[in-house]
Amino acid sequence: MKAASEMRDLANRLIAYEGGAGNGSEPMGSPTLRVYEKLRQSLGEFVGVAGFQSLATRALTLARPEAPSLSAALVTADGALKGLGKTENRFDNGSDLAGEGGVILIARLLGLLRIFIGEALTLSLLRNAWPGEVFDDRNSENGRKA
Amino acid sequence: MSTQDKVTINKLPTGVPGLDEIVGGGLPEFSFNIIAGAPGSGKTTLAHQFVFANASLERPALYFTVLGESAIKMLRYQQQYTFFDPAKLPGSIRFINLSQVVLEKDLGAVLEEITKEVEKANPSVVVVDSFRTMVRKPNSDMDLQSFIQRLALFLASWQATTFLIGEYAEDELRDNPIFTVADGLFWLRQTAERNSIVRKLQIIKMRGQDSVPGLHTFRITDAGVQAFSRTFGLTARKRNPPSNRRLCFGIPELDKMLDGGVREGDSVLIAGSSGTGKSVLATQFIAEGISHGEPGIVAVFEERPEAYAERATSLGLDLETPQKDGKLTILYLRPLDLSVDETMQSILDAVENIGAKRLVIDSLAGFEMALSPGFRADFRESLYRMIFALTGIGVTILSTVEVDESFTEFPFSTYSISFLCDDILRLRYVSIDEGHSRV
Repeated sequence: MKAASEMRDLANRLIAYEGGAGNGSEPMGSPTLRVYEKLRQSLGEFVGVAGFQSLATRALTLARPEAPSLSAALVTADGALKGLGKTENRFDNGSDLAGEGGVILIARLLGLLRIFIGEALTLSLLRNAWPGEVFDDRNSENGRKA
Repeated sequence: MSTQDKVTINKLPTGVPGLDEIVGGGLPEFSFNIIAGAPGSGKTTLAHQFVFANASLERPALYFTVLGESAIKMLRYQQQYTFFDPAKLPGSIRFINLSQVVLEKDLGAVLEEITKEVEKANPSVVVVDSFRTMVRKPNSDMDLQSFIQRLALFLASWQATTFLIGEYAEDELRDNPIFTVADGLFWLRQTAERNSIVRKLQIIKMRGQDSVPGLHTFRITDAGVQAFSRTFGLTARKRNPPSNRRLCFGIPELDKMLDGGVREGDSVLIAGSSGTGKSVLATQFIAEGISHGEPGIVAVFEERPEAYAERATSLGLDLETPQKDGKLTILYLRPLDLSVDETMQSILDAVENIGAKRLVIDSLAGFEMALSPGFRADFRESLYRMIFALTGIGVTILSTVEVDESFTEFPFSTYSISFLCDDILRLRYVSIDEGHSRV
């Protein structure tokens, strides 16, 4: 089963936003990692470190079959993500070292949230971490409402 | 000190239907409250209703989860309730997980974390769910009582209204020093009685205002907790002065015998054996009232409203049109696990909705059977409270009751509730010229 296209779209939009907002040449400057860290921070606040770590580990397990590049990635005990992009390094200007694997991982994480707490609440929580325009339909890749 | 010199304590809506009246008009602002009860008794749901009713962007609510139900599952389940507004998260309502601090540090660190978040957010409402899990943490530098004491002082100073949620068994209530700190103590319980579950809540303590004493039943539905006050929410309402107006049946000879009808605000009992015409008489009473512009309510327990209306049609009485016109409500109350208080709330809501003047309860035996077994033991006392409350607001009640016929006795009721009635109409069979007639 693949990550739902809506979640991939949303993940792409979050990553694209971070790509435009940060410096992609530093490791933590990877847009995917920045999205992940923002999720870790905002979700960790209410689900706790252990709660986020469990979710992220599950998301990684679900994402690996779709993205071999995630084989070296792991979620540490404090919920941090290590090893992302080790087999898929792309430091070209404007591109993300995490590549497609990162998109799938984020999509899986968002998908899990949607499964557990529903779309409305998931978007409410995301809106607290990202500005509203990220969720604007006009920024949607396929025009689908996020 | 004169009334105007006293400080005014603002009362906040609890967000729980029926509970504002029970706590004395609302929850005192800046109070420090404990919700105690066994697992599954509705503590978290009640706290959520309060949070959703009071949190705003300017003065948000902070909901600290400790050890216990994970926040993500709590949100998964709680959002099923109709009061849950996802748009309030996380701007107006923030969930903060403290489990790591509790697991890795001591109560002092927990207090420090709460303090930091409160100072940052300036919340109007703070919930700690569940503080009881922190008690079980050994080797803490700070004991729980000291933690609660300092938390209460801090949160009051920061003008927050607080709920601490804890799992407590009944026998832990006595002599527990933690409860002395609280301004309000809510006790929720659920007990199995025969095959029914009965939920009750008690306000053991409410500083600063009069709460309604005693055990109040409550139910958890898709709308959350709904409480039913023992006083039926009528404590603030004035009793109507006795009226001399007569309400007729539309049966000339009977009305003549009754000096024009039953007195408005009376409780009337129609007693008789099966088939003597109790329900027919009750239906005529309601239909006659409607024809005089007096809306009515029929509470049926033994048959469905459709069947009741159809039977009336076969007697030439139209109950369909007044139902459509909002002049009549036929209440069919879900049988088998009701409390009188819930029944009463349904009737009161209907009275309010259509401005009912006449109420038929058909029948008392059916009503009793619809109650949870635990409430049947208190049926007489419950009827007394119900009839007193309803007649007090000017509703005329007509109840039917079946009694056994015999040649040697002439009972009025099997319930010994004659003291609840102002008038009794007794129907019976008589044998005339080798045939049976009703009188």
